Amino acid sequence: MEYVLSVIVLMGIYIILSTSFNLIIGYGGLISIAHPIFFAIGAYTTGLCSLHFNTFPLVSLLLSGAAAIVFSLMLSLSSLRISGDYLLITSIGFQLGLLEVIKHLGFTGGASGLGNIPNVVIDLDRSGFFAASSVSIALLVVLFIRWILNGPYGLLISAMRDDEVAFVALGRNAMKIKLVIFAIGSGCAGLAGGLYAYYYQYVSPEQFEILQSSMILTMVVVGGMGSQWGPVVGAVLLLFMPQAIGFLNFPPSVMAPLQGLIYSLLVIIFMFLRPQGLLAARKRVQ
Amino acid sequence: MTVIIRIERLCKSFGGIVVADNFSLDISAGEILGLIGPNGAGKTSLFNLISGIYPADSGAIYLHDKALTHLSMAQRSRSGISRTWQNMRLFSTMSVIENLLVATRLYQGERLFSVLFHLKELKKIDEASREKGFQILKRMNLESLMDASITDLTFGQQKLVGLARALMHDGSCLLLDEPMAGVEGAAYELMGDIVREQAQLGRAVCVVEHNISFVKHLCKTAVFMANGKILERGNIDQLLASQTLETLYFGGQRS
Amino acid sequence: MTFEFLLQILWTGVAVASYVVLFSMAFALILKVVKIWNFTQAGLMGASFYTIYICLNYFALPLLPAVVIGYGVTVCAALLFNRWVIETLRARNSSSLTFFILTLVISQFMIYFFALCFGTEPLSLSKNIMSGVHLVGGIVISNWDLQAVGLTTGVLLVLYVFLNQTNMGQFMSAVADNASLAKLYGIDVSRVYIYTFCIAAFLMTVGMYLFGLKVSMIPETPLQMMLFAVIATLLGGIGNIFGAALAAVLLSLIQALSIFVIPSKWQSLILYVFLFVTILFFPQGFSIAKLKSLLQFKRT
Repeated sequence: MEYVLSVIVLMGIYIILSTSFNLIIGYGGLISIAHPIFFAIGAYTTGLCSLHFNTFPLVSLLLSGAAAIVFSLMLSLSSLRISGDYLLITSIGFQLGLLEVIKHLGFTGGASGLGNIPNVVIDLDRSGFFAASSVSIALLVVLFIRWILNGPYGLLISAMRDDEVAFVALGRNAMKIKLVIFAIGSGCAGLAGGLYAYYYQYVSPEQFEILQSSMILTMVVVGGMGSQWGPVVGAVLLLFMPQAIGFLNFPPSVMAPLQGLIYSLLVIIFMFLRPQGLLAARKRVQ
Repeated sequence: MTVIIRIERLCKSFGGIVVADNFSLDISAGEILGLIGPNGAGKTSLFNLISGIYPADSGAIYLHDKALTHLSMAQRSRSGISRTWQNMRLFSTMSVIENLLVATRLYQGERLFSVLFHLKELKKIDEASREKGFQILKRMNLESLMDASITDLTFGQQKLVGLARALMHDGSCLLLDEPMAGVEGAAYELMGDIVREQAQLGRAVCVVEHNISFVKHLCKTAVFMANGKILERGNIDQLLASQTLETLYFGGQRS
Repeated sequence: MTFEFLLQILWTGVAVASYVVLFSMAFALILKVVKIWNFTQAGLMGASFYTIYICLNYFALPLLPAVVIGYGVTVCAALLFNRWVIETLRARNSSSLTFFILTLVISQFMIYFFALCFGTEPLSLSKNIMSGVHLVGGIVISNWDLQAVGLTTGVLLVLYVFLNQTNMGQFMSAVADNASLAKLYGIDVSRVYIYTFCIAAFLMTVGMYLFGLKVSMIPETPLQMMLFAVIATLLGGIGNIFGAALAAVLLSLIQALSIFVIPSKWQSLILYVFLFVTILFFPQGFSIAKLKSLLQFKRT
């Protein structure tokens, strides 16, 4: 039971990550693989706030989201000013670079990570509470993003994706929209990071390397890039995969690359055979 | 007649290819100017220079006496430049009315803040826009296709939607890039009528066209362009009778 | 800080620049002619390295045959990649998003595969990192340094002659300029692509050979090296292969000289700072004109 609840917590976190990444890459067309770094920033922010200032959990989570948004602007403002094509390269650099910084800073705990994050759930069934919170927050995030996409702002996002030149020629500020999409997506990732830090009470840089990028990308590609529920399906399915191969009882040094191998292979297969993913994006009009 | 758009000594070249060679032109309110010339004359490039897709090498463009030189494409558009495209550039995953809704010059939904906190006002503005879009589509006999997907329309209908989108944008300067290409029958007449109506409303209209009969039908004056230069400007009938045009279009005298 | 020390740092910087130059030129060449950002390069570089490694350590082959086999494997992988991936995506008219993601993920796939086979322990091609050294005017010059500089200069010269004097070299320039026009003139574009990948694979293999003799690496290392190559390509100006080479040398030197200014633990960050400076200020490549205008805050 304990085990099932921990999987549910993780599922909620990854639903937030995949849905928010889908907003950035599937809807915004912004090719960035740096999503895990905003996840990391959120996790570290919550960890540090909780450890040093004992902030109220909801406040930490909000601060995590805000910190992720600030960092996302650093990345998006610098890269998008020039051209969206360069965003991929700068996002790789941003992720690897910031991870290097985290590994060398004292107050983040360096390469060995930040531990002893205080437990904020007392007097309650810990796993149960986290499972419920995780799923609720995930649901809220998915509904929020759906609400934006189905509203007037979503109209802009679709038009921009369809033909950016015509879009700008109508007087729309494409750059601002991209910045906003990137900020919202990254902010949600930061939120997920906060949740992660509170549950596991330990955060370390290697949890946010390129393997994470692969995992989240796989969830979005397999689930369906640019579809609203696709990433949710992708997240749920792909979280069961490690459980499935977990039965093979390989040592961890084999498990991690094996997972990465399977994730990359899935992306490759899907991009060749079924690029629209499992849940193809519906057109706005049926 | 007030001059709406004034182009002064515009120069632009791409490597060795000159698309604008000390080009000067002005278009007044209510005028429908035809822009004709062989392929590669620089007609679409001129539109692109006015829209701001690429900057000119030198020279200036004034809209209502305000210089456009340092304005971005979006800013120029909001100042009042509306245009259609040779290859239409409609938003293919959206419906007809949605294509129009995003075309209004000031789109309130562009501010996320408004979307989050001023939803009621936004709804009112949205309704007004929808009504305006509906009226434009009705004028084109397309109101029944309001919610149809762009990909379900015929070529002619798509061209009309392109024009509708430009009209929705409501700029004082209307640039039409080969609006009649591939269009025939009823749509042809309709387009001509609509463009004339728009000019009567006070817009400055410039039409790039290869379809000479459409140009004759619609424009009183025209400009004949080649190699980025204006070779002749004037009354449409005079222009069409000119020798230069014959040589450049047909490679020699016909008669 | 003595003059000798400075010279030593400069020399070592130049020597180390050798493999960076080779990787950068490989990346820049493919970008120039085939017109794709070949993020699969990291995977191909890994393939080179690990093939040479297996040949040396499992089949006990001498160095030269091992490197040749390494090249063979890399070329095959590159050509298969060109045939199955690039051509398929081109035929489908795929967006640049698809190209980017797919090439990057293929690299990742290969890296995970190597991690599975070889673990994450650092591996090197040489039994001992220290090779023979000479002392010239107080500066330590190792055999590896000489080999690196010599080999790279040789490769650069041959490449220069090839690109400018041979027919194929000129075809490559033509295709780089305008592939459809080149086709109209009767140039076999697919053949040009094959040659391009063969040359790039050669550059990668020689680079990995030098790299593997000097440094020990883990499966992710090629990703960082590739990032360096990308920055050099950008800085040198897209389409300018020798510009990329020059940029690679300069970046290596700056990285080496940075030891005088910042503590060594932060040295690895220099790369990322370069990346941002390049993208922010010189996205079209470095030029004196751009530098001047930036310094004067002029509008470009």
